Amino acid sequence: MAPAKWLMHWHPNPGVTLNTQILSEACGCAESLGGTKDGRWKTSIIFYRPMTRDGAGGAQQNQLADVPRELLGVALHERPGLYFSILRNQRLVLQADAAFSQVMEKLQSFKARVNLNFEGFQYQLGDFCLRIGKCVPNNTETLRGIMMEVEYYPLSSIEKSRAIMVDFFDIWQETLAKKSLPGRFIHVESNFSEYGLSDHYSFQHTAVQYATCLQQLMAAVRA
Amino acid sequence: MECVVQGIIETQHVEALEVLLQGLSGVPKERVRVHELCLKSVPMLGAVPSEVRLLCDLAQPTPSWTIRHVGGAMRGAGAEQISILVRTIVESKASSNVLRYFYGIGYKLDHEILKVGFAFRFQRGAQFTVTVTSANKMPKLHATDEAVQVTPGIQLVEITAPAAANNYNDVVSAVTSFCEYLAPLLHLSKPGNSTGIVPTAGAAAASLMSSGGAKTL
Repeated sequence: MAPAKWLMHWHPNPGVTLNTQILSEACGCAESLGGTKDGRWKTSIIFYRPMTRDGAGGAQQNQLADVPRELLGVALHERPGLYFSILRNQRLVLQADAAFSQVMEKLQSFKARVNLNFEGFQYQLGDFCLRIGKCVPNNTETLRGIMMEVEYYPLSSIEKSRAIMVDFFDIWQETLAKKSLPGRFIHVESNFSEYGLSDHYSFQHTAVQYATCLQQLMAAVRA
Repeated sequence: MECVVQGIIETQHVEALEVLLQGLSGVPKERVRVHELCLKSVPMLGAVPSEVRLLCDLAQPTPSWTIRHVGGAMRGAGAEQISILVRTIVESKASSNVLRYFYGIGYKLDHEILKVGFAFRFQRGAQFTVTVTSANKMPKLHATDEAVQVTPGIQLVEITAPAAANNYNDVVSAVTSFCEYLAPLLHLSKPGNSTGIVPTAGAAAASLMSSGGAKTL
C-alpha cells in the first residue's frame, strides 16, 4: 500500500508570469521548515493523439467519433517499472508495465505527441516527503508550471490522512506567505471514486492526481 | 522477439507427450487456463489496421491480465530456410480494467477463445515454454464456464522461446533440436503451416507409456 499523497499546483496571481524564482523560494521554504534535501525526482506525462489512415488529425478525424481525442501516459518516478494510461473522458486509469509504451508504438493507433516532465528536488521532513518541481516540455526549458507532492508515510487511507494533510498545508501556506510571492499553491481534489479507486492510496491515485494537476496548470496558462 | 513452432496431436496421445516432456524438462507441469480476447481497431483508427490480444490467466487464484502484441514474422532468405518462425512480441502486464480500456480507445472484440491444458517451462539452451492446449469457444460472450471444444480429439502444441536480434540463431538451433525429441509424437512447424498428425504416433506413445511412464512411477 502506498502512503497517502496530495499534489498541489502553483496558481500565479492574474497577469503574473511564471518564473523559476517561485521554485527556489518554495525549496527554501521546505528547508526553513527543517526539510533535508535527499535527491531529485522526475515524473513524465506523455500525450497521445489518435492516428488516422489519412494522417493524424486529418479530415477523417471526424469519423472517429467513438475514439478519445487524447490519451495520457504517466511514468511515475516512484515506480519506474510501471506505466499508467488515463482515459479522462471515461474516468479510467490503466496500470501496466513499462513495456506498454512499446505496445502503443507497435499498434500505431495513437502517437505520442507531447512529453512533459515534472522534475525537481525531494525533501524529507519527519513523516512527510516533499517533492517540489517544475513542469517543462521534454528537451526544452520552457516553464509550464510549478507543483509539489506531499506524501505522508504513516497512512495510506486518504480519509484518515486528510486532517493531517490540511494541517500541513496550512503551515506550508503560512510559511510561504512570508515571502510575499505573486500567487499560491492550490490543492484540487481528484475524484478518485469516479475512477473506481478506493480510499487506500495506490500509484493509480498518483497517476490520476497528475492528470488533474496538469489540467489545472494548463488552465492557469490559458488564463 | 520469440521463436515459435506449432503442431497438433490427438488427445489420446497427450498423456504420452506429457511423460516425454516431463522427462526432457525435469520440471513439474503447470496448469493452463487462458481466456484470450482478440481485439481489432475500428475502421480509420491508426496508421494501419491493428490487432491486440488480451490474455486473462484463469489458472491463478486471482486472474491476471497481459496485453500481447504479435508482430510480423522475420523475412528474408534465411527466415525462409528455417522451419521455425521468428517474430516480434511485446507483452505488458495490465490491471483488470484493460478490456474496458481498449474498448474505450477504439478497439472492438473480434473473437475470444479459452485455452485449457498444461505447460512446461524450462531452460534448455534457451528459455522454453511448451504448451499443450485444447481450444474452446464460448456459446455466449465471455462465458468461459460454458466453453466447448472447437476441435474435439485434437490438441495444439506450441513451443516458444524468447530471442533477441543477436542470439536468435542459437535459439532457433535449440528449438530445432528439441523438436527432434518430440518428432515420434508430433510434427512441429511454423504457425499456419500445419503438417498434420504423425500416423505412427500411437506406437510411439505406447512405447513411451510402457517404458518412460514406468520410470516416473
